[in-house]
Amino acid sequence: MSASEVVEVEGHIIDSLILAKLMDVILASGADYEVVSVDIGRTNTDVSMARLQVTAADEDALASLLVELQAHGANRVMSVDAELLAADREGVLPAGFYSTTNLPTAVRLGGRWVEVGNPEMDCGLVITPDGRARTVPMHRVRVGDMVVVGNDGIRVTPPSRPRGATPFEFMSSEVSSEKPKGLLVADVAARLRLHRTSGAKVLAVCGPAVVHTGAAPAIARMVREGWIDVLFAGNGFAAHDIESNVMGTSLGVSVRAGTAAEGGHANHLRVINEVRRYGSIAAAVEAGYIDGGVMYECVTKGVPFVLAGSIRDDGPLPDVYPDVVEAADAMRHLLPGVGVALMLASTLHAIATGNCLPSGVETYCVDINQAVVTKLADRGSHQALGIVTDVGLFVEGLCQELCVKQ
Amino acid sequence: MCPPEHFGVLYEINSWMHTEVRVDLDLARSQWDGLCAGLTASGATIELLDPVEGLPDLVFTANAGVVNGTQYVPARFRHPERQREVSHDVAWFEARGYTVDELPGVASHEGAGDALPFAGVLLSGYRSRSDVATHAALSAITGVAVRSVELVEPRLYHLDLTFCPLDDRRAIIAPLGWDRYGCRVVEALVPEPLVLDDDDALAFCANSVVVGSTIHMPSCPSAVGRQLEAWGFDVVVHDVGEFLKAGGACRCLTLALDVELGVTG
Repeated sequence: MSASEVVEVEGHIIDSLILAKLMDVILASGADYEVVSVDIGRTNTDVSMARLQVTAADEDALASLLVELQAHGANRVMSVDAELLAADREGVLPAGFYSTTNLPTAVRLGGRWVEVGNPEMDCGLVITPDGRARTVPMHRVRVGDMVVVGNDGIRVTPPSRPRGATPFEFMSSEVSSEKPKGLLVADVAARLRLHRTSGAKVLAVCGPAVVHTGAAPAIARMVREGWIDVLFAGNGFAAHDIESNVMGTSLGVSVRAGTAAEGGHANHLRVINEVRRYGSIAAAVEAGYIDGGVMYECVTKGVPFVLAGSIRDDGPLPDVYPDVVEAADAMRHLLPGVGVALMLASTLHAIATGNCLPSGVETYCVDINQAVVTKLADRGSHQALGIVTDVGLFVEGLCQELCVKQ
Repeated sequence: MCPPEHFGVLYEINSWMHTEVRVDLDLARSQWDGLCAGLTASGATIELLDPVEGLPDLVFTANAGVVNGTQYVPARFRHPERQREVSHDVAWFEARGYTVDELPGVASHEGAGDALPFAGVLLSGYRSRSDVATHAALSAITGVAVRSVELVEPRLYHLDLTFCPLDDRRAIIAPLGWDRYGCRVVEALVPEPLVLDDDDALAFCANSVVVGSTIHMPSCPSAVGRQLEAWGFDVVVHDVGEFLKAGGACRCLTLALDVELGVTG
């Protein structure tokens, strides 16, 4: 785990080339720096002041580097430990609790920085008895949990675009309505391959439009061939996926002919009703009622899924979590190890998932509506890159890149 | 200056000092008298600090502190062996009505041995004896900009072994003593440097005293002498061999009192 500290240097550090030397010393040691602030003296006699955040490979490397930096006048900025307060009610954080972001966060405890294991926005920070720091949503706080209060002893690493050429550098703007889609698809495919090589999981968050646009078979194939490791969706996506496989329609419209089927508006209700008779999607697959599609592939491949419920849901399917707090917890449970999230034509589930994701998860939001991407970013998921296009075409292209060229 | 009554190599705090090397006190005294006479002859007035038994390095008054008009900033020595000098230095300046301004904190700074004025700024050495942390404070106390230079050659452990201001444009410099950043800082500061090669630097050529247009040097290779004469300086070479045994030469034996920091021309 890398270690980092802010150092401060004051004096005629520009004219004496002390600042330049400090930067060179840091880089030469294999560590890295980020300039936190520079206050340059206005006149020849005014002193200048600079703060650098120094990041080294580990605590030992940092400690020896700090000794060297001190010889050139750069001293560690005095930091205080975070203040902790025990929660005194179930599901209630102490007043003044530190409210988290989804950015990499560290807490200072006993003079050392402890990284938060699971960054998530809008949570409290609980220090476990063994000294680890974890984000905990409000409802999960238990009496006696030691919760960070105030802002002292908290360090948040601001988001930064990586320097240098990355496969996605050409996407300098966050939304891509005017970018060649073929290139975007190829690049997302390349990122997925890269992440799979490194062992990271791919999360797909699907809206019903994935089925309506005819992209479900491509998603199903990606699940079957191991390109999707976790699926989040709602009742609608699962119901229409099953409907299209059992009845050949999605919301009553033939997925092959594109025409409305006689009495088709009730098709999804009949399908939901039958799955409820079996007791679960897995049981319906087992019995042979469902013999294809995304949900079928998830069950047979053992890919875990969370179907989160809402007031609008018909049925719902027996696998749907009707309790949103339970649904969010089930989603959190599946997040460790996820390196990429594909948000596919889903506004509400995308935002819900974004709320739970650490900022380090590479997130692609594919939607025909640019506003969805904006909404996601406005709610704090700044890492999301938006691809404004028809989800059906995008997923088809992605599936071809991954599953044909393999 | 401080007469070498109690001078000797009684401890080793630099790479020149070897306690087994004996100092000839009579010879030291006559060398010191010679330097005194030479400085006086070229127009300087000498004031004396009483020698103290047990403080052999008190003769090296350059390290007593930084003088700025009637302001005196006492040194804070790195080695305990020299720390007991400070009270004697402070008493001398207090008795003469100087304002004594102490450096804050505990970091060390060894006076004019590590801080020499040039062109309106104070060039100050650090790492071997002085801490760079004192430089901002020194600037705040004296009101003059400081340029910090890291001293990287252990044999040239004070700035005054590497740098000798001659006038507003010229200085004798020994780049051997500095890291590449220090070299660039001095390069930017001194329009016309007289660059010493490594041998001349280690012969302490830069540890010289300038009085008017006369330069009192512990040694002067002919090439250096020719350049100084071409610039209009008279060179006087003093044998200070006994003091070299303790790692000091002409400049180390003196502390200039006619210093107004930040004033050029």
